[in-house]
Amino acid sequence: MDNNEVWACASVEKDLDRVVTKLEQLHENASAEIGDIASLMSELVKVLGKAEQTVTTLNSSTQVGSGSVDDPMDIEHGMHMQVETEPAAPQRLTDRQMEIIREAILKCNERVQKLSTEHRDLHGSISKIGKVIDRNFTADFTSTMRVDALLDDENLMLLNKAIAKHYCRQGMDEVARTLIKECKMTEEHAQDVFDSEREFADIYGIWVKIQKRELDDALRWTMRFSQQLLDRHSLIEFRLHRMRFMQLVSYGLESQHEAIVYARTHFKKFAVRYEHEIANLMASFIYLPGGLENSPYKHFLAQEMWTELSFIFLKDACQLLGISKNSALSVVVNAGCTALPALLNIKQVMQSRQVLGMWNGCDELPIEIDLQPEFRFHSIFACPILRQQTSEDNPPKKLTCGHVISNDALHKLSNGHVLKCPYCPVEQNAEEAVRIYF
Amino acid sequence: MSEIKALEHATLKVPYEILNKRFRSAQKIIDREVDQVMNVSRQVEKALNGDEAPIMSDVTKLMGNVAQKLQVLKRKAEESINDELSVTQICKRKIEHLKGIMPPNNSTGDLWQGSVDQWKRIRLDRLVIEHLLRMGYYETAEELAGRSDVRHLTNMDIFQTSREVEVDLANHSTTKCVLWCIDNKSKLRKINSTIEFSLRVQEFIELVRQNQRFEAVKHSRRYFPAYEKTQLNEICHVMSLLAYPVDTEMEHCKKYMDPRRWDRLVLDFRQENYRLFQLSSTSVFSAAVQAGLSALKTPHCYTQTCRNLNCPVCQEDLNRIALKLPYSHCVQSRLICRVTGLPLNENNHPMMLPNGQIFGQMAIQDITKDDGTVTCPVTNTKFTKPKIEKVFVM
Repeated sequence: MDNNEVWACASVEKDLDRVVTKLEQLHENASAEIGDIASLMSELVKVLGKAEQTVTTLNSSTQVGSGSVDDPMDIEHGMHMQVETEPAAPQRLTDRQMEIIREAILKCNERVQKLSTEHRDLHGSISKIGKVIDRNFTADFTSTMRVDALLDDENLMLLNKAIAKHYCRQGMDEVARTLIKECKMTEEHAQDVFDSEREFADIYGIWVKIQKRELDDALRWTMRFSQQLLDRHSLIEFRLHRMRFMQLVSYGLESQHEAIVYARTHFKKFAVRYEHEIANLMASFIYLPGGLENSPYKHFLAQEMWTELSFIFLKDACQLLGISKNSALSVVVNAGCTALPALLNIKQVMQSRQVLGMWNGCDELPIEIDLQPEFRFHSIFACPILRQQTSEDNPPKKLTCGHVISNDALHKLSNGHVLKCPYCPVEQNAEEAVRIYF
Repeated sequence: MSEIKALEHATLKVPYEILNKRFRSAQKIIDREVDQVMNVSRQVEKALNGDEAPIMSDVTKLMGNVAQKLQVLKRKAEESINDELSVTQICKRKIEHLKGIMPPNNSTGDLWQGSVDQWKRIRLDRLVIEHLLRMGYYETAEELAGRSDVRHLTNMDIFQTSREVEVDLANHSTTKCVLWCIDNKSKLRKINSTIEFSLRVQEFIELVRQNQRFEAVKHSRRYFPAYEKTQLNEICHVMSLLAYPVDTEMEHCKKYMDPRRWDRLVLDFRQENYRLFQLSSTSVFSAAVQAGLSALKTPHCYTQTCRNLNCPVCQEDLNRIALKLPYSHCVQSRLICRVTGLPLNENNHPMMLPNGQIFGQMAIQDITKDDGTVTCPVTNTKFTKPKIEKVFVM
């Protein structure tokens, strides 16, 4: 991981923000300017309507007054309308009125067109986002695959099974069940999903509980497997009891008796192995009156201790049951996410040097993928002379001096039967090298 | 190249395409409403520019129209722009999530690892959801998105539309798919899509199947000419269906009459939908699974004796998927003790039993009994006080 990622995101974000600002501005303008002109229009309509009415009433009452109806005419923009009080039937607009209306219409046209143009102008900024995304992110990762192993239905079903198992492990049985139903998995496979993950799902449930600081289930489980855990030199049972004990002690003086009883019942079987530690724990009673949080014992109940405890539990329990701690799917996908960028990189290099096909005649990946040590599950011996992985055809051999090279290298280096070790001065008989197994 | 740059193109590109689409439809709506306003305002102007002064009540009415249209324009413009803004919010949320791969600098050790793990867990859920959607397992995707609360980080919306179309196609109806084609007309033309033609052909076939041959001819006259430049050959083939009975044995006709053509339409439609949003034809998930299997695959995974229960490729199902995939590549030896799982190095020196099996120094203690007998954990051979030799690996 490098800053590159953040930078790529940041550059998209920058352009996005620009568009957001413009959109917000436009939204404001649309509300304000269009709203403004709209209310001006309705105001005009109102005024015209009133003017008409006034005239009509004036006419019907035949009372010819001063002829000017000043009052309702005073609206914004300082408009002033003269309404003539001609008795003739259809009212016509005066020049002044026409002028005002013309002005208003002109303004209205101007503003609505401005809205349309301003919105259209956004196009550039928006499509720039797309360009930045294309520039910073790779759209096509398919070329990293030589064979598509996921094309045939059987493999896809196996993958579905792996997905179902993954969620089953985490106690999301419904997700697994829906998937099984939807992909029409066979009864046999479905059974396997639940059977194989049942054990882990239990462990996972206890693990979640430890993180919630509930120890009962965990203690019950470890007591069940007590002997096996002891045989494996597992710390977990003692650690759980210790945590439980500290929990009791932390309740203060009133639970003192309970804590002592607990220690007497449960610490006995650890007496030999953890003698010192038990002594240490029992000394915590000294601090009880002052409260545990003010004592050197406070770190026993810190958050890290809980995290560590749950981690040890998960590790030891899985080891005991002979099941994997990580879901296969998550290991594979995370390894794949590490591998893909590297493969894309090498593909670009190979293309720029016009090496045809990164996979030609080779059943290995073109480069080494730098995985975390915890995801290395098998020994790989690469011959230090030929820089090649050994195989059944070219197995690793131990020379009499203890150095290991591949069989092919051994033949290349030996002169008749005589071989001088490439790493030390020993001369030896090439026939005496032994095949070894990692 | 980094993980995000290599894998997250679709995460951002899809909301961008949606934004772009919303922008275009917003522009269309605004332009239409602007036209409406201009139309009525032109009527007012016309009235004002007449030979004699216009009648007041007429103008009042026209002005009323203008005011009303302006209100409509205002409302619609606000709505459309809000639509656009909501898409930008989706986009922003996704960027925020992507940036989470780099936890804040001040966090250390476990906390740092914890937040990276959490991020990766979310990523896995996202990738699985996308894969499920592509496979058409919508219910499962829905359920998972709800359970792990990652809906806002996925592209489920575009798949939701496609789900409706697919269900419709599966029921042998073209209605929704045709609507979809019209909705995305310009974009489909840009990517040279023939999906609409395929749909029209299917409609034609169905008419023939129901023996409504005149209707079929009418249908062909209406829709096929648009494609005569590019699809003439196929048009001829399709038209020849008119000449044969429905249950014809003619090879090329049978191909069209096959009800399974509907299933192919579903798949075609899915592909076109991906192309429309510039999604790659395979999911990131399947690419990652395959690259990951390769990166983990060693010859040991295919031997009887050296399997490791923690290794995913050693597990039965994944083992079979990985069969055809390339092995990992390695130029530097990395050795792991098969008993303890610990790396072999200067602290845990590799030691050889007389049968050539190598284990770590620490494991040798575990497999040696008090009386000096050693049992090889791989071959189960017993050695009494064997000579255990150190080996040196460069």
